[in-house]
Amino acid sequence: MSYCVHCGVELDSSLKKCPLCNTPVLDPHNIPWFEAASPYPAKKGKVEPVRKKDAAIFVSVLLLTISITCGILNWLVFSRAPWSLLVIGFCLVLWVISFPLIYCRKFSPYPAVLLDGIAVSFYLYLISRLTGSNIWLFYLGIPVTALFTFLLEVFMLFTLKVSRSFFSVILYIFTFISLSCIGIELLCRNFLGDVLRITWSAIVLTVCVVFIIAIVTILLLPRVREEARRRLHF
Amino acid sequence: MKKASKTKPPVRRTWYKLDLSAIVYPTLQRRDFSSVYRLSVILKEPVKPDILQKAVDMALPRFPTYKSAIRKGLFWRYLEPNDRPGPFVQRDIKNPCMPMPFKENNRYLLRIYYYGCRISLEAHHSLGDGTGGMYVLQTITAQYLRLSGASISCGGFVLDIDEKPDPEELEDAYMRYSNARVRPPRPSEKTYRVRGTKEPFYTLNIINGILSAAEVKKAAKQYRVTVTEYLNAVLLYALLQKQESENPWKYLPVRIAMPVNLRRFFPSKTLRNFITMIYPSVDPRLGDYTFEEIVLHVHNYMQYYVDEKFLRGEITTNAATQRNFFIRVVPLFLKDFVVRLFYTRVQDKNSSAGLTNMGVLQAPADMIPYLERFDICMGQPFSRRTNCAVISFQDTLTIGFASSIREADVERYFFRKLVQDGIHVMIESNREMPPLS
Repeated sequence: MSYCVHCGVELDSSLKKCPLCNTPVLDPHNIPWFEAASPYPAKKGKVEPVRKKDAAIFVSVLLLTISITCGILNWLVFSRAPWSLLVIGFCLVLWVISFPLIYCRKFSPYPAVLLDGIAVSFYLYLISRLTGSNIWLFYLGIPVTALFTFLLEVFMLFTLKVSRSFFSVILYIFTFISLSCIGIELLCRNFLGDVLRITWSAIVLTVCVVFIIAIVTILLLPRVREEARRRLHF
Repeated sequence: MKKASKTKPPVRRTWYKLDLSAIVYPTLQRRDFSSVYRLSVILKEPVKPDILQKAVDMALPRFPTYKSAIRKGLFWRYLEPNDRPGPFVQRDIKNPCMPMPFKENNRYLLRIYYYGCRISLEAHHSLGDGTGGMYVLQTITAQYLRLSGASISCGGFVLDIDEKPDPEELEDAYMRYSNARVRPPRPSEKTYRVRGTKEPFYTLNIINGILSAAEVKKAAKQYRVTVTEYLNAVLLYALLQKQESENPWKYLPVRIAMPVNLRRFFPSKTLRNFITMIYPSVDPRLGDYTFEEIVLHVHNYMQYYVDEKFLRGEITTNAATQRNFFIRVVPLFLKDFVVRLFYTRVQDKNSSAGLTNMGVLQAPADMIPYLERFDICMGQPFSRRTNCAVISFQDTLTIGFASSIREADVERYFFRKLVQDGIHVMIESNREMPPLS
């Protein structure tokens, strides 16, 4: 029988240290814990992982079936134009987006978003092949997709690595909105051959900047942050 | 000749709506969290797993709401009878109350463990509360002892496994008693939250204090309060000390979430959830409290709020949400989203720690000689904090702390206060202590 010299509690004979204050049990006359069995087992339990394989197989088979049936329908019945490419491309985009979400959660989100961007670009390429014009693809479609992919990557980087507090995420969202609007307007003007300047996106930018400054102020001043949290908590 | 299928009577699958409390627990389910509690009985002889498995197989059909699986409907979840094999008894593990995914373990929402002389039952809170779980555990234990050659009679928490379940055992008792004419508002305030280092996944730190019930009663009597009030006051005192040790720039009220067993006030045999929460608290912003003042404060709070009228009002407020037509027609995924948001943002921040007292357990007289004591673990806390559960049997009172943080400051302040009050405390733990620096 040993007692903790700090807490005054009796310790189970299997304990080498007091679990309350980490003080070691030192009894030079008696070292009972060499033999005493712990009242708790040593083995840790783990829950069987949730099997997402079934859901992933179901989604993959469903999208593959839609693609194949549309392809056959296009080939044998409605064969005037290769419209099935649109459906197949769309299924491919859905599969690329959903696969990491359903099956492979450990898959890093950065390459996943990059793959999503590539899949969307490929789909736009298919549309351009069907419509027979590809100027919009190179000057608008792919640049807008690339811009969104890049901004999403940066958004995720900040959310996962910097801070994911409520106010920080709102700050990222407003920054994301303002930058994407500016990018879209500039790319549209470039595509249409206009002078590169911002008009409507400047209004969005102004509104966003007001919010961004307000949030940065809240984040920098602990007292204001506490007050805002108290009043806005839900 | 008629087809065989036509001669057979149609099979009617019964199902059970989740009770009012049980609706919330599956919503809070996360990859690393389930609302699971554990009740253990320590026998005087080592447990034989094959006999225990037989006892479980024989006793569990008596509890249809426990031999069930949870399913999703369009608007609500529900319990469905589970005829799959199991649940199978397993050798105990170091980290009890680990998450309980609904689709694992043959869809059973309970686990039965054995280790040395101990039989443990872990149940998901959506099946029932601690009282319901205790009926299951004691009935299984009685059957185990019978199969081992003992003669155990029924009574108290031991039910007759040969009789059919009473419909009242399966009822949602909240709905029967939620009939107050007014719905009292529920005040909520941001409270002090214990800060600590989060332990890795699959770690639950347990510190069990084993005390003499008579000594605790004597200490409580010194302050002229009940054991529950005394232990509540000690926990509040420990939390106040913990807050003070952190030197916060702003003090916050310290509040305990404590479930009250409603069967004491509203007669019901239900084995499902029938509890409501009360929140004894102390606000250090009003001034420094001595322990005697905290005890008096808790005593007055309990006298005022633990009352049939107040509790009826509380149940009525809870039931109002489930009765509201516009809430009922909202699809389940939206309800889940809103409830989870509300719980994380408001409800979880409403208390600093949890404390439950199962009270003095009764067992049939012929079963008592085979039992050493009972243990209880309130389960993994939803956020970084510590939960405390109390249970007593004969002269042994067990206080079990469960937390998923590394620091044991609250536990230390708590047990030191008991020692100061002249109570002998024996500590058991599964903690892996860090090396001394």
